[in-house]
Amino acid sequence: MPKEESSKVTRRSTRSSASVTVENPEPNVSHPPTIDDLTFGDESITLDAVLSDFPGRRSQIFDFIRLMGPLDCPTLPIMIYGGASTGKTSVVLQVLRHLNRPFVYSSCRTCYNPRILFESILNQLLLHRKCSSNGYSSAKRCDKPSDFVNLLREALSNVIKTLESASGISRSDKPDGKPMGKMVYLILDNVDLIRDWDKGTMILQFLFSLDSVLKMPQLGIVLISGLPPDVYYSNMGYTDPIPLFFPAYSEEDLRQIFLRNQANPKLYSAFLDAVLRSFCRVTRRVEELSTTFSSLFRKYCEPLDDLGISPNEDMKRRLYSYLKPFIAPCLNDIFRVSSHPHDGETRGERRQKVSYSSENREELKILDFHMSTSAKYLLIAAFLASRNPATLDASMFDSTGGMDNRRRKRKASEKSMEKKEIAEQEAVMKGPGSFPLERLLAIFQCIASVGDSSFGEENQGEEEEDPTGYDRENNNLMSDILLQVSSLCDANFLIKSGSCPLEGSIRYRSMVSEDLALKVAKSLSFPLAKYLYRR
Amino acid sequence: MGKEIPAEKSLNLIRGRLCDPSFIFRPLSASSDSNYSKLKFIVSTSITEGCNNSILLLGPRGSGKAAVLDLVVGDLLEQFPDSVSVIRLNGLLHSDDNCAFKEIARQLCMEHHLLFSKMASFDENSHFIIAMLRECGLAHKTIIFVLDEFDMFAQGKQRLLYSLLDAMQSVTSQAVVIGISSRLDADQLLEKRVRSRFSHRKILFLPPSRDELDGLLEHLLSLPADSSFPSGYVSRFNDKIKNITSDRRFKDILKTFFNAHSTVNSFLKFIFCAVSLMNLESGLLSLENFKAALSSMQRQPKLEAVRDCSVLELYLLVCMRRLEVKEQSSYNFISVMKEYKAIHDSFQTSDYYAQNVCIRGFEHLRERQVICYAENRGQSQTGEYRPMKLLISASELHQGMRSHACCPAILLKLLDH
Repeated sequence: MPKEESSKVTRRSTRSSASVTVENPEPNVSHPPTIDDLTFGDESITLDAVLSDFPGRRSQIFDFIRLMGPLDCPTLPIMIYGGASTGKTSVVLQVLRHLNRPFVYSSCRTCYNPRILFESILNQLLLHRKCSSNGYSSAKRCDKPSDFVNLLREALSNVIKTLESASGISRSDKPDGKPMGKMVYLILDNVDLIRDWDKGTMILQFLFSLDSVLKMPQLGIVLISGLPPDVYYSNMGYTDPIPLFFPAYSEEDLRQIFLRNQANPKLYSAFLDAVLRSFCRVTRRVEELSTTFSSLFRKYCEPLDDLGISPNEDMKRRLYSYLKPFIAPCLNDIFRVSSHPHDGETRGERRQKVSYSSENREELKILDFHMSTSAKYLLIAAFLASRNPATLDASMFDSTGGMDNRRRKRKASEKSMEKKEIAEQEAVMKGPGSFPLERLLAIFQCIASVGDSSFGEENQGEEEEDPTGYDRENNNLMSDILLQVSSLCDANFLIKSGSCPLEGSIRYRSMVSEDLALKVAKSLSFPLAKYLYRR
Repeated sequence: MGKEIPAEKSLNLIRGRLCDPSFIFRPLSASSDSNYSKLKFIVSTSITEGCNNSILLLGPRGSGKAAVLDLVVGDLLEQFPDSVSVIRLNGLLHSDDNCAFKEIARQLCMEHHLLFSKMASFDENSHFIIAMLRECGLAHKTIIFVLDEFDMFAQGKQRLLYSLLDAMQSVTSQAVVIGISSRLDADQLLEKRVRSRFSHRKILFLPPSRDELDGLLEHLLSLPADSSFPSGYVSRFNDKIKNITSDRRFKDILKTFFNAHSTVNSFLKFIFCAVSLMNLESGLLSLENFKAALSSMQRQPKLEAVRDCSVLELYLLVCMRRLEVKEQSSYNFISVMKEYKAIHDSFQTSDYYAQNVCIRGFEHLRERQVICYAENRGQSQTGEYRPMKLLISASELHQGMRSHACCPAILLKLLDH
């Protein structure tokens, strides 16, 4: 008997866990998996249920069913491809549930390297479930494609033998969840992620030629990919699988999808009339639209007392005019609906420093996360250091505070305009410049001293007494600067760029957009525009 | 389950035939100067005369090399039941020498009912193989080594090839090494010492002629007149097939198909798609099935990607195209946003969105591989400053936008200008 290589995971135990003894035995281990577990498991559904579950996917569902063929029909490999959230995986699984055929499903997103992928497929075929009694290990250890082919062949022949004997016994039409037929389908999801794996192209070519390597007609292979098949073409050739395309949903389909499972379809359809067309111009993906619509719909329903009524034309117009001011900022924002104009009660909680207005646009200029004052100054200093060339520092940060515009009076000739344009383009392509740490600290000291005076003024408005005088503010701003720098690096506001081998100091680069810098400066009442160099 | 409807049965039968290579290639190999007979002659003479041999089967992918080889091997196993054993290796799986030797040892053990230990080392395996070769040679048993994807074995140090071919020359062995490759220059990849031990026999698999393919089509699609089908059905089905194949439009479809595809496997895929579309109620094929199958094989993925874009993403694509036209050799997200703003200022479009929404649109385009970063280095920059490039051509963009469901007319104007 050939020696079986066991794949037990040796567990290292800490001293504390080794001393503690396990008290209760494992409560009621579920039954070991049988051949019936290869099907979807729940009750089978009719074709009409599948078609109504997936509006807009009618032709794809029919194509897929036709490609699968009637019972026990051998098939060439199929590749299903389409954009994200177009329903590929769910359609495949639901159709297999309807057809009641045994299948093995594995996703290359959860099985992130070949070994886990192969072992997951083999576990399902060998009807092995990982539990504590076998130490959460797989049935067989397999990380090479050659071992996988041999083990797969064995496991498949066992499964097919069981299926054949089972199908001989009972062949009733009743959809009772028992697997039908003698074929097993292998479904591999997210195949496009394999391209990023180590040796990904070899694995991909192996998967595409799996059916010709195995030469078992009882296995049907379905590959689901987010990218079209032309992405996989490489130096090593293979015969293409049969493609099946899932296009993105049209507006009509999106309307039907969003109308499903709504408590009040008429109200929701009035809502969709208002918003769907404009949002479809930005994105047609279901997952992005659904997050926006759920929050917008709540806003839409706010003036209504009774959510069960069906609106007439007049009410629809009034609801639309209520919703209208929220739509435009929502289009320009992802995942969020502004809520300030509605929150009348929180008005009192606003700090007096922040200017508040009922316009939605103002709300976008307020910084929505908290940073300490020294960190804000450091951020602005980094932004200035990246944007301004180093040679202008002396004139920029002298005692007069800020650049004066005396030099603008000279008329620009055409050649210098062209040069300016080219220089601007290059600047845009290169991105923000890098600066050494010393320059950052120098700029920080300059602007912190500028801001100190204004900071001191505002502090006088507050009630607290400051016995030690203004020195304390100064010290507070200068302490822990290096800590602040490293926390800004962690938050990705600064990144470390390459260090110059001659100088030996580390250079940093600011990754802050101009909008954010303006917001931060505004929250400190810092005149940022005076210090920015505009070409 | 009562009896199946005849349409399903015929569908099963035809699809089963399509997935079975030996059914397909047997009639193609019937003539006496086909590759099948050549190969069979070479291998059978080396079996009967007890000598060593090596052959390469070359041809484009899908032309039936492995299928013909399987036919030959099957026939030989019937003809000489006890004096042939077959070892199959595949370059995709066994290109690593350790793997390959282990696999050969495993298959030899299985054949001869010996115990195989997975723990055997490389040296032990190679000694075992050489010993087996000698034993089989003394017992007048021929071992046929089938090396699929031969060019993958020719990468690296070619240890496996050298040891096999060397063993054939030095040891009293009877072995035939058959290599299958889709690279037509596979023998040029061999090292000098391997090439000198290799007999340069090559069998080339060319695409079949039109007559052969017509004959194959008929052979595939005609139902046998046996009792498992209702009697009228078989004759109706075969008559319909004859009608279709003699139709001029069908010949046009086939001609369009053969303009792009020449191998047998792609032809089989085409027939498979057509047959799967068979109307299950009438149980007969029709010309529309073949037309639909042809259009499903002529996919245009970039067009589909452009048609799936939203209006904002189309704007971004048009901006990038305009920057290219202006001969800006490299551009990044910020420059595209500037162009976008310029368009909005000059034409007052209603589709002007904020920067983070545009970044999201960019990410969608990048996921779908319509655009990509121009260089892979420069990881220290954020995505906004890295140079990008378009992965679709101007004509594809044009075509995609024209067939888009709701493309604004101004975009087409901007693209043309």
